[in-house]
Amino acid sequence: MIWQQLHSLIGSYPLALRGLGMTAVLSLISLALGTLIGFALGVLRAGDSRTLSGVIGAWVDLIRGTPFLVQIFLIFFILPELGVELDAFTAGIIGLTNLASCFICEIVVAGIRAVPTGQVEAALASGLSRWQRMRQVVLPQAMRVVLPPLVGQYVLLIKDSSVVSAIGLTDLTRVGWLVVQRVPNGLLVFALVGLAYFIVCYPLILLASRLEKRLGAAHAEVQL
Amino acid sequence: MKIAKLLAAGLALLFGAGIASAGTLDDIAKRGELRVAVQTQGPPFSMVDQAGARTGSAVELAELMAKEMGVKITFLDFDWDGLIPALLSGKADLLVADMTPTLPRAMKVAFTKPFMTTGSVVFTKAGSKFGSAEACKAAGTKIAVLLGSTGEKNAKTAFPDADIKSYKGGGPLLLDAVNNGQADCGVNDVSAVKGQTAAYPAGTFTVMPEMLSKEPLAFATRYDSQDLLIWMNLFLDQTALDGRLQKNLDYWVNSDAWKKDHQ
Amino acid sequence: MLANFSFRTIVEYLPLFGQGLVATLWLSVLSFAGALAIGIIACGMNLQRSRLLRAPAKVYIDAVRATPLLAQLYFLYFGLPRLGFILPELVVGVLALSLNSGAYIAEIIRAGILSIPRGQVEAGVASGMTFVQRMRLVILPQAFRVTIPPLLGQAIVLVKDSALLSLISVAELTRAGQLLASDRFMPAEAFITVAACYLLLYYGLKGLARGSERWLGSRTVRSRT
Repeated sequence: MIWQQLHSLIGSYPLALRGLGMTAVLSLISLALGTLIGFALGVLRAGDSRTLSGVIGAWVDLIRGTPFLVQIFLIFFILPELGVELDAFTAGIIGLTNLASCFICEIVVAGIRAVPTGQVEAALASGLSRWQRMRQVVLPQAMRVVLPPLVGQYVLLIKDSSVVSAIGLTDLTRVGWLVVQRVPNGLLVFALVGLAYFIVCYPLILLASRLEKRLGAAHAEVQL
Repeated sequence: MKIAKLLAAGLALLFGAGIASAGTLDDIAKRGELRVAVQTQGPPFSMVDQAGARTGSAVELAELMAKEMGVKITFLDFDWDGLIPALLSGKADLLVADMTPTLPRAMKVAFTKPFMTTGSVVFTKAGSKFGSAEACKAAGTKIAVLLGSTGEKNAKTAFPDADIKSYKGGGPLLLDAVNNGQADCGVNDVSAVKGQTAAYPAGTFTVMPEMLSKEPLAFATRYDSQDLLIWMNLFLDQTALDGRLQKNLDYWVNSDAWKKDHQ
Repeated sequence: MLANFSFRTIVEYLPLFGQGLVATLWLSVLSFAGALAIGIIACGMNLQRSRLLRAPAKVYIDAVRATPLLAQLYFLYFGLPRLGFILPELVVGVLALSLNSGAYIAEIIRAGILSIPRGQVEAGVASGMTFVQRMRLVILPQAFRVTIPPLLGQAIVLVKDSALLSLISVAELTRAGQLLASDRFMPAEAFITVAACYLLLYYGLKGLARGSERWLGSRTVRSRT
């Protein structure tokens, strides 16, 4: 019985490859866009404008306070009402990018706030513009605090990508869900699915903790 | 204030007229693509076979439609309860599935004439103590139905005292639930049940002979796509006359011939 | 659909949403309790010197943290019946949530215990305390203070994760939204209401977190070792 199932499973490998590819594409695109937008939002939020900071903060709170599954349903079913033509893939990208940006925004804000104010004051005294201050003084030092949780966020993003299977996107989890209805061995099918995610995510988790150790040690700064 | 309202109404009329004159068939022809919403996993009408290719009775009929239109076809798959929202939101031009044209649904989407008739049946695990539909009427019986399906409505009427569990996805999940005991009985269309029990060894399930209901099945499109609706009805008429419809149904629905090729 | 947003239907379905909200709270509490238990045990095993005890804990924690919750949920939902365990969906869901959060809680507790400066422990030893006294009077109170905020953070994550249980037909808040969406073809009304309910839970929990930080901050002396 189990050999028959394995045989059936191996026959499904084109489908599995499609699912893996979809997960990879979704994760990579949202990761890249989310990092860009997240950094921009973070810099803005840590900036001087109280209103901008408040608005961004409110949006981030909204995203952090609701389940991603509900956000995906909202994006998929409601954005078309507002005129945005969406297929499941675009909805998935929008949802994941939005999610990533909000969390990365908070990580960046924490990183920026971790830079000793002495540094900022020295930069001001040296006559650097706000943009130069950010780029040459604050952000490079903030990266020390930002990098480990940033990599951790990437892992979370790859895992959250599995939720888009609920709107019918054929990602790795959805492939498992489809296959298990034909090959009714849930243990085997989802153990394999889990293994695939593990192979991708575990190295990243290790990277994050290694970064934390190396960068954290160098964080014993001289307080000006 | 009144003038503003008149202006707004006038503009709306202009735009509305503008949109109505560019029919859906024209859009499809211009785009060169027919977008069809199908159920992800609902054998024998729509499913993904072993190689990952989309196939099934409704799928093949849709492919035939695209061929007759001279355009390529794009399938968008959804869970059962996502089909109508997908059509309404404009993601798809039409939906092809084993869907019953109920009156509440017809308030939202326009159905074609029926292409076949089926009915809801009750099924249980072979050898369980639920030997007949009567037995499933007992209070507290767990009945598996598909979220948003007519089986869901029929079960609520036929088994008012039972515990109705609506599963999101497709018919195979109901069989799975009944098979491993998470539900005592299941209710779904007989065409779907017959097609889907193929994945299990013969004799796993007992399908009760009495049909809870008789239901036509039809395809659907939006109310603003009247031209497409008329075309689809013509398509069904013609394929019924030249026998292609019957051939499709005989292969997929009325026999097990498809199982050899696609399982 | 947005053009004629129907508040009337939302009010009509309010009892269903209310039930869903209560169900979500209920199963979140159960799952969190389970997760705490599993987390404490796993962390305890992970801190032992014996590799025999550490290995299974480490494997469990790593496996859970590197795979998505949805895959874990499907693994249990489709897999357990094969092993002969026929459990109601709710139980499977709570089990999945407990196992998932348990791994994260194990790491939170570990970080909390490891964050206590060695000086404290050494002072305890120097003062002649036994292991149990050291634990009770020095380590655990400080570990407690450090772990409560991240634990509450994990609780918030758990409440949000519970939404996935709707995909295996558990009667909770997101499922209430799905039922409204498919009964009346009103996904907008359905999911906006659902989102609002989750925000209520979120702000409630955040308020709890803030309150607890204030309470803890005022009760323990911040040591400067």
